[in-house]
Amino acid sequence: MIEFEGAEVRYPGGVRALQGVDLRIDDGELIVVVGLSGAGKSTLIRAINGLVPLTSGRVTVGERTLPGLDRRALRELRAQVGMIFQSFNLVSRSTVLNNVLMGRLHHVPLWRSLSGLYRAQDRELAMEALELVEIVEKAYVRAGNLSGGQQQRVGIARALAQQPSVLLADEPVASLDPPTSHVVMRYLQQINRELGITTLINLHFLDLARAYADRVIGLRDGRLVYDGPAAQADEAVFEEIYGRSLTADDVLEGQGGL
Amino acid sequence: MSGEASVDRERGRTEPAGRQVRPRKPPPQPFTILGLAGLVAFTLVTAWDWALGIGFDPLALPGELADSNPAMVEGLFNVTDADWRAQYVELLRTHFTDPDSPWPLSLDSRIGGGLVETVQIAVLATIVGAALSLPLAVLNARLGAPDRVTHAVVKALNNVNRAIPDVIWAALFVVLVGVGALPGILALTMFTIGVVVKLTSDVVDGIDRGPIEAARAAGASHAAAMRTALVPQILPAYASFSLYAFELNLRGAAVLGFVGAGGIGQAMSYYWSQLDFEAVSVIVFVYLVLVIVVEQVSISIRRRLG
Repeated sequence: MIEFEGAEVRYPGGVRALQGVDLRIDDGELIVVVGLSGAGKSTLIRAINGLVPLTSGRVTVGERTLPGLDRRALRELRAQVGMIFQSFNLVSRSTVLNNVLMGRLHHVPLWRSLSGLYRAQDRELAMEALELVEIVEKAYVRAGNLSGGQQQRVGIARALAQQPSVLLADEPVASLDPPTSHVVMRYLQQINRELGITTLINLHFLDLARAYADRVIGLRDGRLVYDGPAAQADEAVFEEIYGRSLTADDVLEGQGGL
Repeated sequence: MSGEASVDRERGRTEPAGRQVRPRKPPPQPFTILGLAGLVAFTLVTAWDWALGIGFDPLALPGELADSNPAMVEGLFNVTDADWRAQYVELLRTHFTDPDSPWPLSLDSRIGGGLVETVQIAVLATIVGAALSLPLAVLNARLGAPDRVTHAVVKALNNVNRAIPDVIWAALFVVLVGVGALPGILALTMFTIGVVVKLTSDVVDGIDRGPIEAARAAGASHAAAMRTALVPQILPAYASFSLYAFELNLRGAAVLGFVGAGGIGQAMSYYWSQLDFEAVSVIVFVYLVLVIVVEQVSISIRRRLG
């Protein structure tokens, strides 16, 4: 369970990225967070693993509550929360397998990560994660040589190698074309359904949000403005979240002409 | 929006709404003008022929060159003379092959052995120095250091290291460990660290930070995140700078012998003191060939790394 209580984030310079957010997420939910860029989606997601510290309020993940964790406890929390990024954040010069093994770093003794001599069991977990997103045949290819969709699948495998209980995805398909976007979204949905991993995905395409989410959360100027089942999130709701009428840019299918 | 408007006001521009105005080229900074004026003044003051100047007169240069020792000029410029070339080649050939020559080039001789030792010093110093440089380069960068204190300490130490010339390091190590190749290796190790750490850590600032965020998000410790997300990104530059340091070391190793730190410099210093300039000339020639060959190999490897 993840719970936000009066969560606020104010960046140096005065920008209030989150304002008084109260939110409860149950285990196994698939939640899509929508909002315009700058609405606080990335901040909300990064508050969960402490990449962005709250300036007031609290967020509880399982039995750990932020802020107030020491460095060790924070790393334990992060190990339990996998993360997927818009720009994949892979080491392009390293092999796919070595990238996925980064998901094991918390569980690996320092001398092993420094020398690159990972245990067989860690390599096995990494290979299994790659099999789940059906890209295991690329294990020894340099990550930078893969297509965008393949790189994002490696990103998912890296998060899965952590054996997380929560998965965070920050605009996972924003750098991908529409068909590839659906492939990546289906993997995320399948992982949520089959492994029961609580999943939060930031998106700005309303059709993708409606197609894959159980529950939609809307953010506007750092405030929670919508929280409800995906089925009820119609166009009127999105216009309310975005604070303007919808355009072709707001749906993935509208991007085909690009 | 209000933020952008205030920035414009600070620059003293007014922008009519709805029209884009190209900014004027900003005037040069006072610092730039002062700096240029200072450079010109310094050049004139030092070059002028007065109490604090060195009296460098570019117009007198051709005359001074013409007044040079005719024998030396002949030696320098007779490379085109076939007889002179044949004579020099004969000189080299004799001393490479004749066991009775006063300064043979065999591997156990003063010159041949010195050359081998120079290469050994350069290779060992590069390997040890480069190995120590990789972790130090990470710590020498803001992004790579675990905290500000470590960063400041490593940076300060390396600045001190680079401020000390390799010949001074060599003299220091000769005092500490005695005459021979070891002080040369230690001196060039320090020099290698200075060069490779500085150049490599500058590369750290330009890398993709995304993978580091990913490693942190996975719960990795700082050291593990640096090893897996940062080091692979700086490895090509690091390897290239290490080979560059090797080229510098090979040249640097030549002068270390003058302070007793081994290598070809020791032979050169010996013949210099004997006023046997023919031997010095042979050493310079053979060493030049060696350096050019090794550098070309190193450069071709570096090109492949790039």
